[in-house]
Amino acid sequence: MGSPTTDSTLEGRGPKQKLKDMLIVDVDVHVNETPAALLPFCEMPWRKSLQALTRVPQGYLNIPGYAQAMAPWPIFPDSSGQRRKTVTSAKEMRKDLDDLGVDIAVLFPDFFLFHAALQQADYAVALAKAYNRWLVEEWLGDDNGLKGAVLAPHHDPLVAAAEIRRHAKHKNIKAVYLPTAMVDPLYGHRRYDPLYEAAQETNLPVFFHSVTCIHPAFPFNMQGFSTLFSAHILSHPFSCIANLLSMLETGVPVRFPNLRVAFTEAGIGWVPWIMLRIDKEYNERRRDVPFYTDRPSNYIRKMFFSTQPIEEPANLQEMATFLSLFNGEDSVIFSSDWPHHDFDHPSKVLQIPVSDEARRKILGTNALRLLNLEGVKR
Amino acid sequence: MRNEVRVGTVDELPEGTHKVVKVAGKEIGVFNVHGSFYAIPNACFHQNGPLCLGVISGTLRADQSTSWKPEWVQDGEIIVCPWHSLEFDVTTGQCVAYPKRKLPTYQLRVEDGQILFSSDR
Repeated sequence: MGSPTTDSTLEGRGPKQKLKDMLIVDVDVHVNETPAALLPFCEMPWRKSLQALTRVPQGYLNIPGYAQAMAPWPIFPDSSGQRRKTVTSAKEMRKDLDDLGVDIAVLFPDFFLFHAALQQADYAVALAKAYNRWLVEEWLGDDNGLKGAVLAPHHDPLVAAAEIRRHAKHKNIKAVYLPTAMVDPLYGHRRYDPLYEAAQETNLPVFFHSVTCIHPAFPFNMQGFSTLFSAHILSHPFSCIANLLSMLETGVPVRFPNLRVAFTEAGIGWVPWIMLRIDKEYNERRRDVPFYTDRPSNYIRKMFFSTQPIEEPANLQEMATFLSLFNGEDSVIFSSDWPHHDFDHPSKVLQIPVSDEARRKILGTNALRLLNLEGVKR
Repeated sequence: MRNEVRVGTVDELPEGTHKVVKVAGKEIGVFNVHGSFYAIPNACFHQNGPLCLGVISGTLRADQSTSWKPEWVQDGEIIVCPWHSLEFDVTTGQCVAYPKRKLPTYQLRVEDGQILFSSDR
């Protein structure tokens, strides 16, 4: 292995490599669901709470009582770039996506990345329902490439299942969003079976999406770190790994063979590593998971993993190697995380030295398959 | 022309027991499972552990027919490797964890209370 002569991290947007006729699907962009926006869609008495919240100052992913960021780290001026980090209308989103070169995008919330941490279950459920109504009404009316993910409130899996079934028929609802940060118990618990049944029945993939946080529930207890540097490195992949293992240990992929699963915002480097760990453990502890009759990692090969925050080794060839370790060419899906602080431009993924065919899959066609949008062309 | 070696007696191997013998240059485990005799190599494919020095057991299975709850099955038919607990069906050589991994099985014959191993396989 020779040392790289250039450092890919520093290559910026690089050459315009977008392939002719390449359709780009971005499975993770964020809409700004303020209390004021949701207010008309929310049932009583929780509309009163939203009214009160309109007078609470709004931070980046942080409104006390609504989305508790719990980020006890020092801030400095201008640390994360001076640009708009919210998208407040479908029109604005469409314009932003055009600038990014994205054709189709799946919308996720801003504040409700913290949804699972809401302590009052009735409140949490009411907000989830309001968000879903608002999403359908305000964002998904046009055929402009914006697709929705139904927020499934983990607080009440029966309501979550009903929400999935209620909205699944909408032409632009293409996924289920499972709030992953601070979820307790983890998503393998059998209490969530009704939710998976509904997702399987409606043929909507479930998307796990976490966020950096500090919370007593495992594995969100990041208080061991004194910097956001460390907490942010681990938060997303830890959340995904913990929920993936939780699902594996109760046999979710075996019990729901047609359930499609995607993990977002955790990069892809952890995927081959956890597959190796899982299979190693299986040798010795198969009796703990007696519904598997072969390597459990075979099920992970059927899951989908979104790119952002895409790892940026100095030598990008390493990313091609990573992809080869878990058949990533067929299971990795592009995401930008627009407009959040750590968004990735599609050009970064295009720089990975894989075949044009693999680029087309990762940037577009894998996601089309996952989202039941096969046949859609540019 | 049969080339047979005596590897034990029926009396010394009651049902549910097994032993390891060296025969024709290899170590094999000889098992009495539910009154029938079986033999497999004393070597686990995993890390070459002495498989047949392990204990005879059953195993856990779960599928739709058990409502995905674990059920104890194949009692007395499963050898558990003493090194890392990989399980094998003694009667077929089949590894429980890996459908494509099977140990060879050896032919045994009982005559006049003697257990005979055929090295002709």
